[in-house]
Amino acid sequence: MNQLIPAIGFGLITASILCIAAVGFTLQFSVTNILNLAYGDIMTACAFAAYLANHAGVNIWLAMVIAALFGAVFSVVINRFVYFQFVRRGTRLFGMIIVTIAMSLIIQNVLLAIFRPTFFSYHTSPGPSYNFGGMIFTASQLAIIGIAVAAMLAVHLLSTRTKLGKAMRATATNPSLARSCGIATDQVIDVAWFVSGALCGIAGVALVLNTATFSEVTGAGFLVPIIAAAILGGIGQPYGAMLGALTIGLASEIAATVISPSYKDVVAFAILIVVLLVRPQGILSEVATAKEVAV
Amino acid sequence: MSDQTQFYLSTLLIYLFIDIIGVLGLNLQFGVAGIINFAYIVFVAVGAYTAAVLSLGPDYPGNFQHYVFGANLPFPLPIVAAGVASGLLSLVVGVISLRRLRSDYQAMVMLVLSLIATLVATNATGLVNGPAGLATVPQPLYDWLGLAPLDYQWAYAGWCAVLTAVIFLFVRGITNSPLGRSLRAMRDNDRAAAALGKNVTAMRLLIFVVGGAIAGISGAVFVEFIQAWSPGSWLYPETFVFLAAILVGGAANNWGVMLGTLLVPVGFLEATRFLPQVFYNGFIEAMQWVCVGLLILVFLWFRPGGLIPERAGRYKPRAEAPSGTSE
Repeated sequence: MNQLIPAIGFGLITASILCIAAVGFTLQFSVTNILNLAYGDIMTACAFAAYLANHAGVNIWLAMVIAALFGAVFSVVINRFVYFQFVRRGTRLFGMIIVTIAMSLIIQNVLLAIFRPTFFSYHTSPGPSYNFGGMIFTASQLAIIGIAVAAMLAVHLLSTRTKLGKAMRATATNPSLARSCGIATDQVIDVAWFVSGALCGIAGVALVLNTATFSEVTGAGFLVPIIAAAILGGIGQPYGAMLGALTIGLASEIAATVISPSYKDVVAFAILIVVLLVRPQGILSEVATAKEVAV
Repeated sequence: MSDQTQFYLSTLLIYLFIDIIGVLGLNLQFGVAGIINFAYIVFVAVGAYTAAVLSLGPDYPGNFQHYVFGANLPFPLPIVAAGVASGLLSLVVGVISLRRLRSDYQAMVMLVLSLIATLVATNATGLVNGPAGLATVPQPLYDWLGLAPLDYQWAYAGWCAVLTAVIFLFVRGITNSPLGRSLRAMRDNDRAAAALGKNVTAMRLLIFVVGGAIAGISGAVFVEFIQAWSPGSWLYPETFVFLAAILVGGAANNWGVMLGTLLVPVGFLEATRFLPQVFYNGFIEAMQWVCVGLLILVFLWFRPGGLIPERAGRYKPRAEAPSGTSE
């Protein structure tokens, strides 16, 4: 029991980061039908963008904003000039997944070539620690949780209270119908990738703040829990991804304490397998069913 | 030819044959049946580990490496066992992930599997010696043949050639058979294939297991040659080298993928190995991976059929079925 409460604390932090990342991942899928396997590597690229800004003397939180902007623009560019071009050429889903993984390979190794195979860290201090009934958080970890909550709230408001959000949901559900209703789906898709790219950037920096050091494979390594969270929640469902992230985050950190830290991701994987066996369309399944990911 | 050149050439030839075996197996899954197996290298690894531990003697206290099932089995048995082990693992993985999931969804699950397999093999030190991997795997029949090292190399290359030919004929037998036609039909339109009474799930599973077994055999032959195997040599990007070979050569065309193997893993990656180290150690390697990614994109864009495209069917489809939002 003594170990469990701090583990829940760690779980909440992991879940917060995972939440931001998984919502971005699932948003890209819901609007463009693309499972972007380069997502983790874009996270790493954003972490490096923040690193450059940070080492140029920018405060880390401002650097996070820069990383979010970088991620947003980078994601839109990749989607517009690579993914969308292939889709327009008639590359099927089957081919698109290969395009995204090739992109992942390219981004990861370009980063490696530029930054060299070593570990990096930000100039920042975690700040004072606070104790909440056994769960110990540093100031920056509390900030991460706060940012996650704010980001989720923003996504919620964006998708339910704005016309743009409505257009995004319409595009996700049925792109051709949305287009015939006069929705400029191309612009909506750009906005969706911009938003998800920003989430990707925030998640990348938050991940590094939590792990202290990073290298060119950090984001790719985080892809397993992201995918697990997104599938558990029902791929394409932002709320499902939040729920999935909370489950995976808590479960993996508790397992890390109870079993061994190296098996964190194995727990995420085990949950993924169970979901695939029992309910491949995930907990919330509207989008997954509409897009026929699992029958 | 000097001994060194001969050594190098024979090694290269052995790599070529082993890669061809691996690529033929993946082509069966990816090119012919349309299963995107991003975890292919895991099945190669399982075959390699199986062959390695079965060729090694039983583990003993004080041994520098730890593993399970040391058995000292004689020559062909570890390779057969490797094929069986990888085939069985394919069956388990296939039953879980090849149900009626969308193809890219399956691929994503496979990628996750590949990442996790490395994690488990690295951390479970007692199973196959963790990150250090296994070493001193005996080369088959080395003592019995009593050949000089160089002659043994050529003999091994010969054995690989024979095995490659057998696998090639086997794979061609499948692709040219009615089963092969059904598989291609499933790849192009699985609903139409199902509507014509083909059991799509069973076919997918069957070819997944056959491809997995071939992967295991290629891993086994490889480990018995280089005598060592560790998680570092089967990280998930390795699958993409095979995939690049298939896309460059021509998916679903057995001759095409063999040409692709000659060009990508053997030609391209070997040739660039001799480039002088620039900037820092590892730069060339990073750029190699970038090039593998670019090769995949460039071929998908400019020549999706590869260098030697699949032969078109004798009965041309009248028109492409209109595709909606789904595949």
